[in-house]
Amino acid sequence: MHGGRVLVCDWLNSEAKGRFTAKADVGLFPKMAPRTSDIQTSRGSTTLLSNKRTVSMAQTKSRLLGNNCIFFLTISSMMHMALADGKTLVLLDNLNIRDTHSIFFRSLADRGFDLTFKTADDPSLSLIKYGQFLYDHLIIFSPSVEDFGGNINVETITSFIDGGGNVLVAAGSDIGDPLRELGSECGIEFDEEKTAVIDHHHYDVSDPGEHTLIVADPENLLKAPTIVGNPSDKPILFKGVGMVADPDNPLVLDILTGSSTSYSYFPDRPISQYPHAVGKNTLLIAGLQARNNARVVFSGSLYFFSDAFFNSAVQKATPGSQRYAQTGNMELAEALSQWVFKEAGVLRVGAVTHHPVGESTPPAAYTITDLVEYSVVIEKLSKGSWVPFDGKDIQLEFVRIDPFVRTYLKKNGDKYSVQFKLPDVYGVFQFKVDYNRLGYTHLYSSTQVSVRPLQHTQYDRFIPSAFPYYASVFSMMGGLFVFSIVFLHMKEKEKSD
Amino acid sequence: MIYLYIIGVDMAQPRVFCLVLLTVALGAQALTPSHHLSLSDVERLKGLLSQPFTDLASAYYSIVGLSKLGAAVADENDACQFLKAQLDPMSVDSLFFAAEASQAIADCEMPVSNETRDILLAAVSEDSTVTQIFRAVSALSSLGLPLASQEVVAALVARIAKEDNVLAITTALQTATRLSQQAELGGILEEIEDLAARLDDLGGVYLQFEEGLEATALFVTAAYTLSDHADTEPPLKEDQVIQLVNSVFSKKSWDSRSEAFSVACAAAALSSNRFHVPVIVSTQGPATVSHSQPILHLLVTDILSNPLASANLLVESAQAVASKSVVLSQAPFSLRDGIFELNFMASQPASGYYQFTVAVTGDSRLVANQVELKVKVSTEVAVTNMDLSVVDKDQSIGTKTSRVDYPFKAKGSFTADSHQNFAMNFQLVDANTGVELTPHQTFVRFHNQKTGQEVVFVAEPDSKNLYKFELDTAERKSEFDSMSGTYVLHLIVGDATLENPILWNVADVVLKFLDEEAPAAIQSKTLYMPKPDIQHLFREPEKKPPTVVSNTFTALVLSPFLLLLILWFKLGANISNFSLSPSSVLFHVGHACMLGLMYVYWTHLNMFQTLKYLAIIGSLTFLAGNRMLAQKAVKRLASK
Repeated sequence: MHGGRVLVCDWLNSEAKGRFTAKADVGLFPKMAPRTSDIQTSRGSTTLLSNKRTVSMAQTKSRLLGNNCIFFLTISSMMHMALADGKTLVLLDNLNIRDTHSIFFRSLADRGFDLTFKTADDPSLSLIKYGQFLYDHLIIFSPSVEDFGGNINVETITSFIDGGGNVLVAAGSDIGDPLRELGSECGIEFDEEKTAVIDHHHYDVSDPGEHTLIVADPENLLKAPTIVGNPSDKPILFKGVGMVADPDNPLVLDILTGSSTSYSYFPDRPISQYPHAVGKNTLLIAGLQARNNARVVFSGSLYFFSDAFFNSAVQKATPGSQRYAQTGNMELAEALSQWVFKEAGVLRVGAVTHHPVGESTPPAAYTITDLVEYSVVIEKLSKGSWVPFDGKDIQLEFVRIDPFVRTYLKKNGDKYSVQFKLPDVYGVFQFKVDYNRLGYTHLYSSTQVSVRPLQHTQYDRFIPSAFPYYASVFSMMGGLFVFSIVFLHMKEKEKSD
Repeated sequence: MIYLYIIGVDMAQPRVFCLVLLTVALGAQALTPSHHLSLSDVERLKGLLSQPFTDLASAYYSIVGLSKLGAAVADENDACQFLKAQLDPMSVDSLFFAAEASQAIADCEMPVSNETRDILLAAVSEDSTVTQIFRAVSALSSLGLPLASQEVVAALVARIAKEDNVLAITTALQTATRLSQQAELGGILEEIEDLAARLDDLGGVYLQFEEGLEATALFVTAAYTLSDHADTEPPLKEDQVIQLVNSVFSKKSWDSRSEAFSVACAAAALSSNRFHVPVIVSTQGPATVSHSQPILHLLVTDILSNPLASANLLVESAQAVASKSVVLSQAPFSLRDGIFELNFMASQPASGYYQFTVAVTGDSRLVANQVELKVKVSTEVAVTNMDLSVVDKDQSIGTKTSRVDYPFKAKGSFTADSHQNFAMNFQLVDANTGVELTPHQTFVRFHNQKTGQEVVFVAEPDSKNLYKFELDTAERKSEFDSMSGTYVLHLIVGDATLENPILWNVADVVLKFLDEEAPAAIQSKTLYMPKPDIQHLFREPEKKPPTVVSNTFTALVLSPFLLLLILWFKLGANISNFSLSPSSVLFHVGHACMLGLMYVYWTHLNMFQTLKYLAIIGSLTFLAGNRMLAQKAVKRLASK
């Protein structure tokens, strides 16, 4: 298990390495800058699953910003483009799950996903062929699988995630080793097989007897509407295995947690050791957005997605609790699937412009203390089309190794813009927008510019302390002029007088 | 082998997901159906089938499907008019749909002409598909027209040889049910067994065709209808029947009217045939008895949730899961208002789970009539002798114990520093019998209301079932992140067999840790937050000497010029020789311009621009100066 964590760290850091090499390239450019008008790179594009798509995106972003400008533009929004026609492989324990979970699958199919159903031990399974991913998304609805069929195993699934693929995993109390391993690769530790999340205070009235049919309060949901949808008061039914998040992995999102009274243990054995998960640490649904924007959602319960739970009424067994005609499962499952399959919370950078205030084109180099206007177009994917994004906390950094200025961008029509005074330090700087918010893809755009010191003509001409020097010069010049007139045209008096 | 146990179905509040059953491996036990149509499922199925007709096919699915469920369309006259209006007497399909649907409606006769009959009879041949033959034969039999059964059998057999797929053979089976019992149906009956061999077994629980739910449901329907018709027992084993039930009724959300129709037909076939009727035994409400609810209520129904009136219910044995001791055996249930009842508390079981083996008798057709049920005997817990104390580790100070009664909170708060232990002793007893209990969940929870932090410990009983919980403040500081402060102490007691789970706010405890560390900033919280603004701090301009000094010196520097003017004035300097000749004006203007250019050079121009202007002005001035001096020289010579 610990080995697995180390592996996770490696995997998470590999992106950061890619980023540094990109920066090293940046450093070379100022020297050859006069010939460079407009260059864009996508950070880590080599690690992307589909290079084709990234390139085409970079092209759409390209704008001619100036002819002889010395700047270097890096835009990386790392979007593995979320088109709803994604090919999706669905792995099932048995094909009957397609019938028992038909509402969920139908909603995916209606949204344009191309679903391929296979049993998890199908010997013809394959995720990668000739180095290409055959699918964009993967759904694993096979909790009990002990060995995936074909050439799928935990390593291929993690490399699928590394390549930008999105994965939705539903487990259950009959969870097998491969899913537990996959979880620990992603910073999520599943409890053992045959354990279940138990909550003696918040179980449903129709609980079969072990208090494992849990009513989860919507208050325990992550406060991120892009991931869990709009807030509603409908409770969520859950029955399955518990998880805990690896505290060393900051990317794990606690999408749905148990209540304070919940815990995860074998329902039929007395508690002889500290339970794997207790109280609010018990994760019922967890998510992860990797540094390459691949998204993974783990649900401890396969029943969570079932038609039965979608259509069921829900009421806590505690006397006097409110009865809801329908659970919140369907809305939550739909919102989760929209998030995990990149239909929601996907951002991209459009045109980036910058210029001194009062001008419309960027200069070859800015001068220190110039007043500069920077603007950027940020768009959000909404129902398959790109619409202007509405965010209030987008920050611009002006960076030379460290940020010198960090300020909020204001929405101005379709663009975000800000005016600020450049620092009185010269060097090679970057305008950098690094927007990383809960539920959204990591948005990163950097534009390189050089800032030079004042030219000799740009200093103050008249310094009060130096007035004696100016006065002496001007008095000498005036004296020369007057003297020359007087000298040339004076009429001397007759000496005889 | 997998054994399934059934979860209670509350008939007053029909619930769908009660049917999502837990599979528990408990050794060799008979398979029982894990899915059926609950009353709410039947209502939803009827609702789907009662949607307005769009065409003749949908009318057929709706009308016939509803009649299978024992219901009828809302307005039979309207439906009959719709059928007549839509009927195309030249099309076999149209005739089939209309004829079959009209059969299910009272007093709805379809007009029959000789042409119609000829078209239908012509369709019954080896050249038509099985579906065409089925539709023609069904239409003929529904319309009461004569047909030669033996010819149909021959045509079917020939077609099956060509169309060897599940749907075609199932359709052939359905066709055979419409033929005379005197025809040689033996060959076709054998197809049932062949088809059954083609079913895919999914994990021993489901048995279905890979063609989908509709194919499976239609096969079930056809197999039982034909077996009834031919009066031979279908070649399906009991386990196969149950697996088929599971796969046909596991889907609760039907995609189309035809799928709903096929499920309705299968349900009707399985609940009323002469050979196999699967039994569903379910509890009314949760499978729980307690002192307040001593009677176990069971419902015995068929697939469609209709009570089986003729059945008898007998507990073969009831065994405690924990101790394996048999509590009850061979006890009959009594029937009251369609619900079977048994006062289980009369045998005074201890709280816990009991494994019931229930047998349903009274009808030889019953399938899955040996049912395993897990029944829970629940009770109420009470917390007694709750003592809280703060104990010094070196025992130099005597402990002060305070007793707290449920559900009140202790007065005042307890303070424990790193040299002290916080201790809590209590007992959990059965409120009904006074027996000591050791529930599954006995947790002690410390909750810091300021930071929201929550630390949970497990309290364990000693050999006398007395719970002792001791918190060593120094040892446990890492779990609290060394955060001193007031913690709210909760006792959480819960068990599946307890009716009253306890969440008791016992007291407030102030914990003091020795070396308090600043809580480490948790990265995940800041990862997605805006970073603090940075304003660049511009360099302060250098401090300059006071302007008074420079102004004084400016005045001093200018004074020689003034002195010159004054002295000149005194000496009588003049410019009387100045003549307004163009050359002298031009020279002095040029001279002034050159001096002015020096100023402009200082403020605006660069050297190259300056040199350019200087060249122009300088050459003009030079020429003008030359001429002026020449003129002056001429004048001077002339004056001599």
